[in-house]
Order: sequence, then C-alpha cells, then structure tokens
Amino acid sequence: MSSNLIAEQAPAFLDSSADLEDRETRRARHRSQIIRLGSIAALVAVFAYFGVAAPGFANLGNLANIVEQSTVLALLAFSMSIVVLGGGGDVIRGGIDLSLGANLGLCAAAFTVASNAGFSDPVAVAITLAVGAAVGLVNAFAVVALGVLPLLATLAVMNICGGAELVLTQNTVISANSPLLSYITGASWLGLSMTDWILVGAAILLIALVHGTRWGLRLQAVGGQRQAARAAGLRVSAYLTGTYVAAGLLAALAAIVQAARLSGSSPGSGDILLSVVLTSLMSVVFSRRLLPSIGGTLLSVLFIGGLINGFQLLNVSSYWVNGVQGVLILFVVAVRSLSLRRGSV
Amino acid sequence: MSFRKRLLAGLTLAIGLGALVSAAQAQDVPSLKGKRIGITVAGTEHYWDLKAYQGQIDEVKRLGGIPVALDAGRNDSRQIAQIQTLIAQKPDVIVEQLGSAPVLAPWLKKIRAAGIPLFTVDTISPYSINDTTSDNYSIGEKLALQLASDIKGRGNILVFNGFYSVPVCAIRYDELKLVLRAFPDIHIIQPELRDVIPNTVQNAYSQVTDLLQKYPNKGDIAAVWSAWDVPQVGATQAIIAAHRTEVRTYGVDGSPDVVKMVADPNSPAAAVAAQQPYLIGKTAIDNVARYLAGDHDLPPYTFVPAILVNKENAAEAAKELGQS
Repeated sequence: MSSNLIAEQAPAFLDSSADLEDRETRRARHRSQIIRLGSIAALVAVFAYFGVAAPGFANLGNLANIVEQSTVLALLAFSMSIVVLGGGGDVIRGGIDLSLGANLGLCAAAFTVASNAGFSDPVAVAITLAVGAAVGLVNAFAVVALGVLPLLATLAVMNICGGAELVLTQNTVISANSPLLSYITGASWLGLSMTDWILVGAAILLIALVHGTRWGLRLQAVGGQRQAARAAGLRVSAYLTGTYVAAGLLAALAAIVQAARLSGSSPGSGDILLSVVLTSLMSVVFSRRLLPSIGGTLLSVLFIGGLINGFQLLNVSSYWVNGVQGVLILFVVAVRSLSLRRGSV
Repeated sequence: MSFRKRLLAGLTLAIGLGALVSAAQAQDVPSLKGKRIGITVAGTEHYWDLKAYQGQIDEVKRLGGIPVALDAGRNDSRQIAQIQTLIAQKPDVIVEQLGSAPVLAPWLKKIRAAGIPLFTVDTISPYSINDTTSDNYSIGEKLALQLASDIKGRGNILVFNGFYSVPVCAIRYDELKLVLRAFPDIHIIQPELRDVIPNTVQNAYSQVTDLLQKYPNKGDIAAVWSAWDVPQVGATQAIIAAHRTEVRTYGVDGSPDVVKMVADPNSPAAAVAAQQPYLIGKTAIDNVARYLAGDHDLPPYTFVPAILVNKENAAEAAKELGQS
C-alpha cells in the first residue's frame, strides 16, 4: 500500500532509484563477468601448464581418460546443480541434495544384486532407475510436503540410503559381470569409450533441458524468486519434486557407470559427496550470473579431474590434491560471499 | 591334504633357503637407474600398508629409480583412476599392493595388455609376474592352531570376516575353517562379524561389546578371531572394558601396539601373526630390479617369513621384528 502511495506521489524518486538499480545491476553483471572470464582463464592456464610440463597430458588418450574418470562425479554434480537451481542458491535454506553419494552406493548395490539374481540387463537397469527415483521422491516428500530444510531432509535420506546399501551388501564387495557392464567399459567409438559418451550425451541433453527449454527457464525462476514464480502461476512444488527425482535418476545412471568401472558394488561410494558439493559450488564461477549451470558444472568437474591427472603425471604426491581442492572450495565460497554481500547479481 | 602339507613343508624350506639366499644377495640387486616404477596401493592408514608402501618407495630410490607412488586412500574408484592414468604414463613396471581382487582384476589385465610388467605385493593375481607376500597359508594355519590349543579345542568363537574379497584375508579365513574341521567342539558364532574401514577399531569395539552382552556368561565366548589386527585392537579393548578377560583375541599383521598387547601378560590379546611389511615392500622392488635386469625366471611368489607372536615369545619377537 505504502509503496503504491510513494509511487503515485514521487515518480521522480522512483525513476532515479530505477536508474540506481540499473547501475547496480550492471556493475554486478560486470563483476560476475570478470569472475567468469578469470575462472576460465585460470582453467586454461592450468591445462596449458600441464600440457607443457606434464608428459603425456595433452595426448588424446589421456584427455579421454580424464573425461572417463570424471563421468560418475559429473553426473552427480549435474544432479546437485539442478537441485540448487530449483531450490535456490542459499547454502543453508536453498536446494541441496546430500543423499547423492549414498544414493550412488545404494543404486550400484541394487544393480549388482539384481544382476547377480539373474535379472537381464534391461530389468536390472529399470530396477536401478526405480531405486534412484524413489530416493528422489523421498527427498521431495520431506522437502516439499513436510517442509523440512533440504539440508536436513537429504542428510536423513543419506543415512537411510547408507543403511539400505549395507543391508544389501553386508558392507562387502559384490562383483557383477553383465554384457552391459562389459559394454560400458570395453566398447569405444571415435576413440572415446562408452563411459565418455555417456557423459557427453548427458551433458548435451541437460544443457538443452535446463538452459534451452521452457521447463528449464521456469525452474530457474522457481529457484531465483520462489514467491514471484508462485504468483506467476508456476507449480513450484512440482518443479521442486522434479529436481529431486531427476537427481535420483542421474545418481542411478552414475551408479551403473560406477558398477561397470568397479566390476560391481564396493563400499565407500558415499566418499564422493564432498567432491560433488565442491564441483557444484565451483560451477557458479564458470557461469554468467554466478548461478550453477550444467556447462559450468562440467567445466569444474573437468578442472578437478585434470588437476588430479596432471598432478599424477607430474609425479606430485596425490596427498597434495586434497589440499588444493580445499583451497579451491575456499576461493569459490569467498568469491560468492563477497559478490553476494556487494549486492545481488 | 597330505600333498598340501608336503607342498607347504617344501615351500617353508624354500622360504628359509630363499631368505638366506636373499640375505646373501642383498648387495647384488641390480640398479634401477633411469627406471620409473609405478606403485599403486589401496590405502596406507594401517601400519602394514604404510610400511610396505614405504619399503617399496625407499628401495626404488636406493636403487636409483624414480618411484611414481600413488595412495588411493582406501577408495576403489580413486585407485582405478590412478591405475588408468598410470597405464597411460607407461612406467617401466607397475607394482600393485592390496585392494579388492574382483575390482582390480580387469584393470590389472589392462596393465599387462598395455605391455607393462606387473608385480604385486600381497595380492594374488594371474596377471602378476611375481607376488611378494607372507605365506598366508602358514600364517592362517598357525594362528588357528594356536587358538584351538589355547581354548583346549572347545568353545564358541567370534570371527570377523568383512574382507573375504581381499585374497590374503580369504586364505587366512579358509585356513581357520580347515583347522576347525579337526575340532568339532569349536563353533563359529553366527552370523559372522563384518569388520569395516574406516573406524575399524571403534566399530569392532561396539560389535564385540554388543555380543559380550548377548552372551553374558563366562565361557559363552572363548575367543575372537580376525584376519588382521586392527579389529583385534577394538575387540581386545571391548573385552577389557567388559571385564571378560577370559576371552582371548587373535589377529594378523603384528602392528607394534598389538605386539605390545600380546606381550602384556594381563591382556586378552593372545597371539598375532606378525609380518615384516617393510621387508616385503623392499623385496618386491628387488624382484622388479632383477626382472628389469633380464632375470625373467622369477618364481610366481616370494614369501617373506612371518613370526607367530604369542604370550611366550612376545618380548623376543618384538626385538626380532625391530620393534623394541
């Protein structure tokens, strides 16, 4: 009411405030542009350095290896980015899915157990996807229907998944062998393995879906301004549910790739969660508006993958990689906090 | 059975001779100058793992080679990625230490397919030119016999069997079962326990505490067996805390803290089969050096002697192991 009053009585003030906002927005956009270009330059510089200094880094085979080694992480990081996009970027109250690592383990166990129980590959894949989607639905139920903070809801679901995996595997390695698993690790096309192609395919599909379709744009609206999206008539809860289910399905796909690489199910999949959070956080510095994006996530996953690979080729102790990852996460979070403090982007 | 015994006796003799020979030849190990040796290990948080890893790295350096040493931090995916990159690096040799056999098998095959000689430490694999290890058949048998004799051939025992996928653990477990066939009055309490990584000690502590409550009377449980000695630490602490020191514990590896526990007359830790992990790592690299110098007639296994440490010989054994 009062704002209407002001609007009627002081058009001049409003004009100047709009001007101010414009300038502020422009400045923020400028800043995020600098961060983005700086980050891309850093990535290019690091890769160029490895290309010169690390023997074999720039070989096509080695680059394909980096992509292959990054596939499981990338699929999970895509999931995380989609959930963050839909739920909003606030670290405490926004969208986050901490159950992704545990869901990966559970789905890999489900595939392995189903495969060993004599189910054919298509049935085992269907079971695995169903398990992943079910975990996503449980997350969505807790977040959307019960209104639990995503951070806490998915933390609880993480424990449920971890427990269910232990029940299935008794915390032991279970090996599996199926035509699909051999195909994923063995077959190759145009010099790239099937694992590489799964990542390429998933990335193209998700970039198109999230950044090129009406669904994707509305999803970003839901994450950016939930009230406004609701007022505009978007079914916010359906979009949020969609993000968690999509995340679950992607975790199931990642699990099948992991089962192929590890010849079955192996305890300890949950360890990947920190890397998933890191790469998803990092993705914002590679995108235009300091929001997570699929392309940005892909770049940050390849950045981490290239870093680990380059260190190994340079014969730098693998212990350093953890430290460098920590520094990166601190850098990214600092950049984000600073830019948020200076005004929204 | 008797054939196996004869085989084992033969092997033991061969090991004894081998030890003498290798001591005499210690200075004759060829140089590794200019050679790059890839070393991939599943993890190093356990005393055994770390010592064997260091033994390899030190020996490669001592012989003038360049170690490309990779610790996977007990993460299978990471170890597979490291092996994949290592194959692309084309080192002169790759040495693999421990890990899950079914997970590793296809990747060890790829190492050989890439034309890189593969050696293993404590890992049986058809793709390995030589596996340097303790004689786990003898370790498992001696430990089981010590247990059976300590509990006078009668009673219920708890068994940690979480790592049957690790071949050396499988051998020790199978030997236990083989020995127990001769002792029908010793029963393994079902279900068997699963030891875990990480938090092995805490987890073993809580599992054993729970079972001591479930079987509250003296004599309900006679002993706890585990395929390595970290669960043994947790089990021993749980037994002390529950004032049930009549229950004895048995394990394998011989970390210094466990050897000390066995040496303590009041500790329930009854015996530990102590290996020489540093020497195992060093010996594996010596084999690599011989191979690269043209000796392609290496045996598939090189056994490094282990010592069964019990209440009687603990102090002496600690000295022999260089731990005191």
